[in-house]
Amino acid sequence: MIAPILNLMAGWSTIAKWEFFRSKQKFDKKTLMLLVIFISLLIAAAFVVAQTNLNMNNDIYHVAVTDPYLIPIIETDQRFNCITVNRSTAQNLNINNIDLVIIDQKVYSSDTEKSASASEALEKTLKKYRETVLLSHNDINNTHPVWLTIHYLERQEEFHLMENEQDKTGTEQSIPEKPQTTNINQNDIETYTQEAAELLNKEPSNILPVNKEQVQQISKNNLLQKQTVSTPSNFAPPIPFTAVMYSFLFLFPIYFVSQFYSNSIMDERANRKCELVLVAPLRSVDIVVGKTLPYILACMMILSIVTVYSKGLPTSMEVIKSSLLILAILFPIVLLFFAVSFFCAILSRSFKELTFGMVFISVVVSGYLFFPAMFANVHAISLISPMTLIVNLIEGDTIKAGEYLFSTFTFYLVAISVFGFGTFIFREEDLFTQKPITEKMLDCIEMYLLHPYGSVFILSIILIPYVYMAQLMLIVMLFNLPMPYSILIMIFLSAMVEELVKSIGIFTLIKRKMVSTTLRNAALFAILAGAGFFIGEKLLIIITLAPIGASVFGLVMSMGTLLLIPLIIHITCAMIVSCGMYYTSTRWYLPFLGLATLLHGLYNIYLLRGIIFD
Amino acid sequence: MIKTSTSPRIVLFIAKKEYCEVMHERTFILSILIQLFIASFSTFLVIGLTSFYDPTALGQFDLQSTSVSIIGESDNKLYPFIKNSDVTPILDDTFGDAYTRFYNHKVDAFLMISDEHPEGQKIIHINIYLPKSDLKATLVSLQLKVPLEKFEQTVRNIRTKRLEGYTPLKLTFIEGSLKTTSTYFEFIYVALLPLLMFTPAFISGGLAVDCITEEFERKTLDLLLVSPISLLDVVNGKILLMAVIAPVQSFIWMILLMLNGISIDNALLILVLVFIIALILVVISSIISLTFKERGIAQLFYSLILILLFLISYLFTNSPLNMVTRLSIHSIGSMESIIWICGYVLIALLLYWILTGVVKTHHNDR
Repeated sequence: MIAPILNLMAGWSTIAKWEFFRSKQKFDKKTLMLLVIFISLLIAAAFVVAQTNLNMNNDIYHVAVTDPYLIPIIETDQRFNCITVNRSTAQNLNINNIDLVIIDQKVYSSDTEKSASASEALEKTLKKYRETVLLSHNDINNTHPVWLTIHYLERQEEFHLMENEQDKTGTEQSIPEKPQTTNINQNDIETYTQEAAELLNKEPSNILPVNKEQVQQISKNNLLQKQTVSTPSNFAPPIPFTAVMYSFLFLFPIYFVSQFYSNSIMDERANRKCELVLVAPLRSVDIVVGKTLPYILACMMILSIVTVYSKGLPTSMEVIKSSLLILAILFPIVLLFFAVSFFCAILSRSFKELTFGMVFISVVVSGYLFFPAMFANVHAISLISPMTLIVNLIEGDTIKAGEYLFSTFTFYLVAISVFGFGTFIFREEDLFTQKPITEKMLDCIEMYLLHPYGSVFILSIILIPYVYMAQLMLIVMLFNLPMPYSILIMIFLSAMVEELVKSIGIFTLIKRKMVSTTLRNAALFAILAGAGFFIGEKLLIIITLAPIGASVFGLVMSMGTLLLIPLIIHITCAMIVSCGMYYTSTRWYLPFLGLATLLHGLYNIYLLRGIIFD
Repeated sequence: MIKTSTSPRIVLFIAKKEYCEVMHERTFILSILIQLFIASFSTFLVIGLTSFYDPTALGQFDLQSTSVSIIGESDNKLYPFIKNSDVTPILDDTFGDAYTRFYNHKVDAFLMISDEHPEGQKIIHINIYLPKSDLKATLVSLQLKVPLEKFEQTVRNIRTKRLEGYTPLKLTFIEGSLKTTSTYFEFIYVALLPLLMFTPAFISGGLAVDCITEEFERKTLDLLLVSPISLLDVVNGKILLMAVIAPVQSFIWMILLMLNGISIDNALLILVLVFIIALILVVISSIISLTFKERGIAQLFYSLILILLFLISYLFTNSPLNMVTRLSIHSIGSMESIIWICGYVLIALLLYWILTGVVKTHHNDR
């Protein structure tokens, strides 16, 4: 019993060890030294930059003043560049080069966007200057007479489910809002009331600053920390999108390590180096696992350091628990990044292509992480992004198991299936030849369909998370188009993605002559693919939306007969492509795909008519 | 035989060969797609951000007015200020009432103010209770900031008279018909535009690493060097192509931005600057690639240097990033810009000189 397991382990662990030593070899002494030098240079530069103002908007506005005493005041802000003019020239000043003219106490701006913006910027600068002058008087009670204490209170979120374009279930009427029940805890009120009363009656000096230094300390803006005490002028709203900033912190290491990983895979292919490993008595799964594992471990190690940095040293049980949870959330992200870089490295024909593929894919995955995370705590959709959960954990909240499942489910699914597809074509004829990318992709699908568990039915289900991701990306991409057009284009493009996913298996079957081309087969596969997609879509909705609210779950379930129409649409559209190819040939795949897209799109437009043609 | 000479004909030939490869792999299209994605993402951020900071600027994204609760009687000091703002105030007797209202989403914040009078000596203390959620809290605070600041100003008008030798600086703003926020304007010209202009140059540097290390790793360089082509020819050809494709992409960006109603001044000078910076980056990455010959390591060093250069560019006024900003909004004199561009040309030449040195030692090693 144990022996075969050990045998299996031996395979990939040898490869893993090998990979580890080889990557060590690459860094000889000279390289390591240079690396250390560069990193210390970087740290030094970062330090210097942090000490000075960021010179990223220097001298962008020009101001002409008649009273020279204003110049030092205005130039406290690096954006402004002042010149002195006398009154007569100020009136005939060519306003093109000068954005603002200050004659006596009056600020004149022109009608350009730049001038208006300069005027607003000057207003802010003067406000800042006023604060500095007042502070120098060191008489807080008279100069800063009003102080705010800001408290953040937990309250249950109310979610309005957005009507999204993907919703083809035929329910365009909005979900009736449930009257909120008052399940407020009486104890909570009492404690808060007591606390609040105490806070107000307390000698202000306990919470509020009494001298200049303390005010300066408080006014120091920390980007990521929420303010707790402030004057109204300094009151800075909490920066939204903290999730996006955290994402950067965590994504950089992942991106770097996956670069090395994809490079190592590409390296194996470049000089047929991998040939020896391929002829060894190892399964391709072993090779892939062995090559991947060291990088995943390295990446998780770096991420643990980042976690400690953002969460503090693990001193209490609670910190340890949430730190581990953060790593558990990051794991599927790492897995996905590595899966796509693995696939990219197998598909690309040159280093250039690999670079582009990697950048493209990192951008898409980061977009998928960032975009929904921006709605953290605002909308249920933000939970799609695991980054939202990480932000919650860093801010000291806890997360539910359902939430973890919801946001990481698609990540696991996509990562594992991408690794699977990649492993299928981890063989000589795909690794060492200059096959076009489309051919290699078809190879993946062919290999999958040849697998005992392979079928177009399951293929449609497997590919659904990809459709999800693609559609989400489309929303972001089309955001800069005007309103009705963006929805129309979105509808057709997302319909096309769906049709492509449903028909790609059938296309492969016919193209690669894996089945006999009969009308019966064509119809059968269309039904299987269409039904598979339909079931997968509904399964995903149920699994992913269940943790958010029972109401949605009930909604999907209670639709009953309404479900029949989308099912028929899915099958009909698949049938168009499938039978189309039967009557003509696979060369006509794209035109028929277009036809199916058109039909599907028109159906969706009919469903969403209320929103579009409002 | 050591071939260190270089002929323009051969350099062009190599550049053309690289061009065909890039076009064949359709990487160029992918690159445009990537940048389009980044751009749309940023526009999304811009629109999102500006709608927070100035909800009125975007009429179509009209925000619902927010309600807040104030604990106290109708003679509450704060009440008139909030009533005259975008926020609707509701009065509550006790903390519990306000909290319940808040918890049930009837109001999005509530306030409690201490008894101190504006004419008094002690600090006036206001407790603000905000929802923990990111966006809601931001929104409410933004709307509350205006009346609170007005309240502060009123109290200050009374109290700062007690200060010795303080005269407030009063400037009247005569507004033009156009009203805008500097946040939006500066985001477009300070953050977005320089980034879009230089992204192609960053990518070009990475591409140069790939092109050169590939010749080493696939051992195709030896084949090339057997023909009457020198290593310098090969490197020059690659550098030429990579440096030229950067401003072409930037140009496409400019057209897209202009179509979106963002005017860009000095477009030609900006493109020249992009070309020179792309040249500098490509030469740097060529030096790195020739030194390490291994793609992973070379890419690592290239990205480290890129980050370093990024940081350094924040240290002086006419850094390439800020210069694009100043050029695009006509905030830099032509003399100043030409002097600085010449300076960058000198840096490029210096780096190229180092590169020829590296190529020579490479030959001697053989």
